[in-house]
Amino acid sequence: MVDLEQYLPILIFLFVAAALSALFVFLPMGVSRLTGAHKPDAEKLSEYECGFPAFEDPRSQFDVKFYLVAISFLLFDLEASFLFPWAVSLEYTGWTGWSAMVIFLGILAVGLAYEWKMGALDWQ
Amino acid sequence: MHPILLIVFLPLLAALVAGLTNKAAPSVFAKAITTGALFVSAALSWPIFLGFVAGTYEPTVVPVLKWVQSGSLAFDWALRVDTLTAIMLVVINTVSALVHLYSWGYMDEDPDQPRFFAYLSLFTFAMLMLVTADNLVQMFFGWEGVGLASYLLIGFWFRKPSASAAAIKAFVVNRVGDLGFMLGIFGTYLVFDTVSITEILAAAPGMSGATIGFLGYNVYTMDVLCVLLFIGAMGKSAQLGLHTWLPDAMEGPTPVSALIHAATMVTAGVFMVCRLSPMFETAPVALGLVTFIGAATCIFAATVGTTQWDIKRVIAYSTCSQLGYMFFAAGVGAYGAAMFHLFTHAFFKALLFLGAGSVIHAMHHEQDMRYYGELRKHIPLTFWAMMAGTLAITGVGIYHLGAGFAGFWSKDAILEVAYGRGTELGNFAFWMGTFAALLTSFYSWRLMFLTFWGKPRWIESEHIQHSVHKTPEEAGEDTTGGYHPHESPLTMLIPLGVLSIGAVLAGQVFAPTFLDDAAFWGSSIFYNEPLIHAMHNVPYLVKYAALIVMVIGLVVAWYAYIKDTSIPAKTAEQLGPIYRFLYNKWYFDELYHYLFVVPAFWLGRQFWKIGDVGTIDRFGPNGIAWVVEKGSVGARKFQTGYLYSYALVMLLGLVAAITWVLF
Amino acid sequence: MDYATSFYFTATEIGLSLCGLALLLVAGWQGNKSARMVTIISVAALFGAAIFSIGLFDRATGEVAGRAFGDLYRADAFGSFAKVLIYVAAAAVLIVTPRFFERIDAYRAEYPVLMLFNAVGMGMMVSATDLMTLYIGLEMSSLSSYVLASFLRNDERSSEAGLKYFVLGALASGIILYGVSLVYGFTGSTNYAGIRAAFEASFSTGALFGVVFVLAGLAFKISAVPFHMWTPDVYEGAPTPVTAFFASAPKVAAMGMLLRMAMDPFGGEADAWRQIVIFAALASIVVGALGAIGQQNLKRLLAYSSINNVGFIMIGLAAATPGGVAGALTYLAIYVAMTIGSFTALLMLRAPDGTNLETFADISGLSTKRPALAWSLLALMFSLAGIPPLFGFWGKFVVFQAAVQADLVALAAIGIAASVIGAFYYLKFIKVMFFDEPTREVEATSPVSHWVVLGICVAIMSPLGYLLTVPLGEWTAQAAASFVAAM
Repeated sequence: MVDLEQYLPILIFLFVAAALSALFVFLPMGVSRLTGAHKPDAEKLSEYECGFPAFEDPRSQFDVKFYLVAISFLLFDLEASFLFPWAVSLEYTGWTGWSAMVIFLGILAVGLAYEWKMGALDWQ
Repeated sequence: MHPILLIVFLPLLAALVAGLTNKAAPSVFAKAITTGALFVSAALSWPIFLGFVAGTYEPTVVPVLKWVQSGSLAFDWALRVDTLTAIMLVVINTVSALVHLYSWGYMDEDPDQPRFFAYLSLFTFAMLMLVTADNLVQMFFGWEGVGLASYLLIGFWFRKPSASAAAIKAFVVNRVGDLGFMLGIFGTYLVFDTVSITEILAAAPGMSGATIGFLGYNVYTMDVLCVLLFIGAMGKSAQLGLHTWLPDAMEGPTPVSALIHAATMVTAGVFMVCRLSPMFETAPVALGLVTFIGAATCIFAATVGTTQWDIKRVIAYSTCSQLGYMFFAAGVGAYGAAMFHLFTHAFFKALLFLGAGSVIHAMHHEQDMRYYGELRKHIPLTFWAMMAGTLAITGVGIYHLGAGFAGFWSKDAILEVAYGRGTELGNFAFWMGTFAALLTSFYSWRLMFLTFWGKPRWIESEHIQHSVHKTPEEAGEDTTGGYHPHESPLTMLIPLGVLSIGAVLAGQVFAPTFLDDAAFWGSSIFYNEPLIHAMHNVPYLVKYAALIVMVIGLVVAWYAYIKDTSIPAKTAEQLGPIYRFLYNKWYFDELYHYLFVVPAFWLGRQFWKIGDVGTIDRFGPNGIAWVVEKGSVGARKFQTGYLYSYALVMLLGLVAAITWVLF
Repeated sequence: MDYATSFYFTATEIGLSLCGLALLLVAGWQGNKSARMVTIISVAALFGAAIFSIGLFDRATGEVAGRAFGDLYRADAFGSFAKVLIYVAAAAVLIVTPRFFERIDAYRAEYPVLMLFNAVGMGMMVSATDLMTLYIGLEMSSLSSYVLASFLRNDERSSEAGLKYFVLGALASGIILYGVSLVYGFTGSTNYAGIRAAFEASFSTGALFGVVFVLAGLAFKISAVPFHMWTPDVYEGAPTPVTAFFASAPKVAAMGMLLRMAMDPFGGEADAWRQIVIFAALASIVVGALGAIGQQNLKRLLAYSSINNVGFIMIGLAAATPGGVAGALTYLAIYVAMTIGSFTALLMLRAPDGTNLETFADISGLSTKRPALAWSLLALMFSLAGIPPLFGFWGKFVVFQAAVQADLVALAAIGIAASVIGAFYYLKFIKVMFFDEPTREVEATSPVSHWVVLGICVAIMSPLGYLLTVPLGEWTAQAAASFVAAM
């Protein structure tokens, strides 16, 4: 038996969140419209996503370097997200948890070192 | 080591060495080693035989190797030496040794001599295994071994289509007999629960009158077994019905004919019947059949022999006929007489064949007697040897003088015992045998007169024409065509001489032993004492019957082929149908052709076209190959190379798997 | 938890990982001039790992039962047997690899490092007793495989192979993950023992979905029909040494993983998955055989051959008995030797200018120019076709025997009949090599290392191999018994 009453705070939270985000989006827009210059051109109006035009033939060539950075970012981003739960639970996992994470970080460090040495981090 | 081991295995060893060396060594090596081995075997055989004659030798069984142990079926390789074996040992080894020696001369120009000598020795080994067998399976081993060797030797000149055909014919016809023999062995094992000859013969008398269900009828066990075994003997010994292969077997080299198709292998059937005589004695119906077939073969072959022109074929039919004598002797119960005839026949028939070979050798491979004539002046030694053989086969001898050639003693004994038996079948056999003796005399003297007397007719022969490079027209009056027959080399003449002695004396010397000495035979055959007495007490007319018909045959032959040589042609014309009937060997080949060969071919073609090609191939190999081919094309088309289709297949497979397990 | 024991049981993986990391740094700083040295060290490390695994073979029994890290991982006879095969196969392939790339100046020190990481992943696959460990091992092996497949970056076919492999492999990984989540959802455990216990308590439709998804994903890894589509393209496109590797060690790992999973956590539900396995086995045999007929490219042909062989191995799995597992392991061992031998022979085939020869037209009349090579290939092909007295026959014999003993007579009969189709293209090899006219020039000599690998494989395939039947039978029986002990 689901007691819907329990979800009321969430509903309220949702409304509040929606109101706030609307405020964050539209307030700057309104302020800038009222205060700044308004000269739209094609480049400004086009949508922006990941450095690519959104609608185009997918079989075009692209620079692989972008992906190298993206993958590295993904890797270390995940590492960071992995570190948070580890940090808060460290008092339970103790030295075992600590050494496990150090090994993990060590492996990543070796990978990073290799990547660095091979020049994957240089844009040129 | 028992000498029998040497006797039996030396020829095998020699055959292996000669055969495996083949052309790696000079042919004289193969010739020497095989001939040497055979002479040693022969030399070792005679003391054993003479020991039995003198009564100083005890029957024995020499074990060699374990062979089969399977439930109640147990038998070993073992060599049995008794009187019967001893007789066969001397016959086989003596004739074989002489034939080996003879072949030095006869096969001198052949490029494949090592192979030939290896085959000869291999044959001898197989034949020795057959006669020394202690059990039926070992006997069958030898039986098949001689069949194989015979096949190889008949087809020795395998580049000649007729020789290959003859070899196949011999093999196939023998197979029919072998089937009977095999069924006989199986049946014997079924009934006696053993294949040991000793045990079977010991148990046989007790089985007299026992019955067994066969093809839905209740029949006498022993009759069934013995008839089956006798079918095997008929095949090997070329008895009426299964005789067709023997004349064709003359395609082989003449020494082969002498050794295998006259003296030894073809007598294997007679030997087997004698070996199993205690069994046959309990089977009256089978014995009747043996007598009838023997007598019928005897007369049939003799009639055909009178019309043939090929010297070897005449002797081949004569062999067939003489084997008939042996069988009906066995059929009336005189196994000793049968073996005696086997013994003497081996000498004079080998002699006749080797003599014929010598004539052929002299006449540049011409075998047709119409192109011979006057040869006694050119090859006198061969002539005298042939004369000895002819006197022996026609049974020349005078009862009251107690003297005669080998054939006289044995053939007369057979005729007398058939008469003395007193049964209807016995009488039938006697009359057939007597008439056959007349014909034997006729065709034997015909052979002699055509070959050795009269004017030379050599130039008609293509072989001679080929030799002297002349046509008959060119030769004109000189019917010799200028050809000079030459006497054979010593290696061929020595065997002729030795065998001549045998043909003259074998009967005289051994007749008392073979015919009257019960102790000599011991337990090796069934010895019918009263029958022998009856044999000796037949009327004098019977005793002289053979001599009388021999003289009649001689006179007729002399009249027709020396006195007035136009008679044969006129007679043949007047008795046209009968002559053609005889000349074409009673149309047996044609009968079999339409009765068996044509339907078999038809059946084979049906199986081939409809059964094999139409059904099995179509739905089997070809059909499956077609499906596989199509499937493989499909499998390749399926592999498009596109990533999305691969992913689709994977997902479809997943969905299919889930669907399958859910329902 | 006794860490010492855990580390001892996982020593091969740890050792190979450390070695791989160290060599990676060496590769990074020393560059390609260290490639030879890195290769040699890697081969030594793999052999060391194999020897260590042999030592573990019957050590981990009884109380310890080889459980490491709270039963995330298990070192038992089964795992050790599979690992020995994997490490030796990887080492053998690595031995014959450098020549191939050196000729086109494309060899890099990272290659052996990737092989090491791959070996670590494969070792984990066969030893994992938890879905999490399994997935990590699987991905570790797969990711390095993708890179290996496209190792010749400038070669169009190699790149295509790598991309195809990657996309489809990711799809398969997704399927497995989905299955894993279903299984976890319905059993509340990712541990094999826990899953088995939960299944025995109740087996719901949802769990069945999970099992099917996991098995389907694993079927991709062993390239069983209908998840085989990537195989011919990847095998043909990838560089030949990589293909040799794909056809050997990862097959063992994936098959070992599948065997363990089917027999251990899903072992109680054999009836649920047996029919799928039977279908996949027969379909693999037939499609593998049919697809190979008419192929001109030998690598592609051998790809189909591997699909075909996987079918036979799955017959052992379908039996779902210790005998079946033992049969499958025996077959795997023989298959690995045959495959490595065949690919080594293929690697030895080169035109004098160094280009690879890899079509039927290239090997026609080989017997006149390279008789020893041709005769070796003859032995291997006869063996693959399962013709006695060559050892390949034994492998087929044991799986069919297991199937018959498990009352799967029809399966065995169809399998035997279908193996006849396969014989066709193996015999075609021989026909082309021995009876056709030579058309191409072939390089007359081959490196000693290749001859050694080929010689060992051929010696195992020769009738001499039958000397191995007794020890092989004992080892596989013991390996198969691991599951009984675990139950």
